[in-house]
Amino acid sequence: MVEDFGMGEQELQEMYQEVILDASKHPHGKIVSGADSSLETVSIGAHGGITLTSGHEACKTAQSQQFNPTCGDTATVYVEVSSGSNGNSYRIERIAWDGQGCSISQASLSIMVDLVQGQTVDKAMALAQDFQLLMHSRGVGLDDNQANDDLGDAIVFQGVSRYPMRIKCALLGWEGMKASIAQAMTQFETADVPAVKSQK
Amino acid sequence: MDEFAQVRAQFPILKQQIHGQPLIYLDSAATAQKPQCVIDAESHFYEYENAGVHRGTHELAARATDAFDQARSKVAALVGAQYGDGLEEIIVTGGATAGLNLLAAALSYASQGRGGSAAQQFAIREGDEIVVSEAEHHSVLLPFQELSYRTGAKLRWFQLDQEGRIRSDTAEQVITERTKIVAITHISNVTGAVTDIAPIVRRAHEVGAFVVLDACQSVPHIPVDFHALDVDFAVWSAHKMYGPTGVGFLYGKRALLEALPPASFGGSMVELAFMDRPAQYMAPPARFEAGTQPVAQMVAAATAAEWLSEIGLSRIVTHEKVLSQEMLKLGGIEGIRILGPSTGSGRIGTVAFDVDGVHPHDVGQFVDARGIGIRVGHHCAQPVHRHFGLYSSSRASIGVYNTIDDVDKLLNAVSDVRSFFRV
Repeated sequence: MVEDFGMGEQELQEMYQEVILDASKHPHGKIVSGADSSLETVSIGAHGGITLTSGHEACKTAQSQQFNPTCGDTATVYVEVSSGSNGNSYRIERIAWDGQGCSISQASLSIMVDLVQGQTVDKAMALAQDFQLLMHSRGVGLDDNQANDDLGDAIVFQGVSRYPMRIKCALLGWEGMKASIAQAMTQFETADVPAVKSQK
Repeated sequence: MDEFAQVRAQFPILKQQIHGQPLIYLDSAATAQKPQCVIDAESHFYEYENAGVHRGTHELAARATDAFDQARSKVAALVGAQYGDGLEEIIVTGGATAGLNLLAAALSYASQGRGGSAAQQFAIREGDEIVVSEAEHHSVLLPFQELSYRTGAKLRWFQLDQEGRIRSDTAEQVITERTKIVAITHISNVTGAVTDIAPIVRRAHEVGAFVVLDACQSVPHIPVDFHALDVDFAVWSAHKMYGPTGVGFLYGKRALLEALPPASFGGSMVELAFMDRPAQYMAPPARFEAGTQPVAQMVAAATAAEWLSEIGLSRIVTHEKVLSQEMLKLGGIEGIRILGPSTGSGRIGTVAFDVDGVHPHDVGQFVDARGIGIRVGHHCAQPVHRHFGLYSSSRASIGVYNTIDDVDKLLNAVSDVRSFFRV
């Protein structure tokens, strides 16, 4: 009679799976001021502004801030992308983020970092596409075994996709990754590197 | 069955189960549920009376016009406004937001010289001041902030004390000789605090400024008499007072409405229209009601107004006070901070709270699993959240139909939130 978007205790457990609760409490890739030595080239400015400095000439860095106006959650995703010269593919050398939000958005960012760190840009974009399809599946999930395998832990967000108000939470970080990579790629295009152009 | 159990029984939506549990609705500050009589009034209008109002001479047009005019009087009676032919002080709008935007636009047009000499009392010039408060809903803040940008006026605001109450005691300093408009909330939709508006109205009138009151959260919960409050304008919406969505009200003192220029133009608000010279506009309220009005909604809104009066606002205050006191026990739960007055005096049962270490969206989802509906987010009032050092919060708000049991179930659920999220 009436579509039920809500959840009972059982659905609550399905949405907030262990993987999600763990990841939100101990998120991967989150920049903690002055605490993460693996990201020594991430510097935090006087006003809390963060810049990611490229470690190699052949790499480009970019960032994208995402905002969810209904709850004020923010996520800024920083990427360092290596060029695709010498026949290699563009690759995400490093990815980190900073922000605050609900357990769904925080866990999604953490799991995303695990999935795309060190991956080629093409692979990361394909994962982003799969994840977006998953989040728009209204709780049904994807009818694609390869995609389900590729998504790994991110598959736990299938439960979240039943709830229209929470889909944006899960997608926030992925939008940041896509936008920051797009920016980095623009830099390659404008940086007049012949090898890059030949890749296109 | 006690009196308020009978009130509750009139709300069909509350009889349903949510995930196998009884629905507990604690989001009346966002929108209230509707009693059967309000639902029936709207249906009845469509079944027996629907027609265009104030035009046409057929039987249905007469019934619809009569129902619409009577509805205006019933709504006026609820808030101590004048009614009767030529005396009306209630303008029908699409909602409180629409009413505030209409008023701000009319003041803007007056500032541009429209409305003739009578409207010059509303003109806002560069260097004048418009006063709001940090507790305003965006629907008050933004229309008047934009008005200040358009006119070159300076926007000033009342600050809040530690508990989030508007600092009415600073009226002498905040409202100056340059102040033209003071737009202020009667009850904050976040803190639930009732503003002590008497010093504000007194000071505003002393310097010749007009007071605009946002009464959205007060009309459903406390007795409100705009004449007694002596405010110049006020807005509120039907849907928060157990009426339908799509209709709200702009109150104005009759003499002021007569001097205010129109701000929305179209049919049914003009006496004479020409190609080569300005139109002659109708008297209020028609001057401000261009186009087809939400007639069925207005008729149902009047039913809601009568229904509220029959229960009696003073009895509603007594009933809700008990629930508010219980709700304030939220502040005693470990890790919970109430954004607003921590005691029951000078506040209603709209209680925003922060759960340390758990995001409001997660809080809302958790309590929903127990059939409890609360609001999460910034509640369209970002500055007041900033005052508390937050961006968003959870908010539980009571209505006439709530019970102590509802509130206790919320308290239980909130007590379990932090352990679920491993804080």
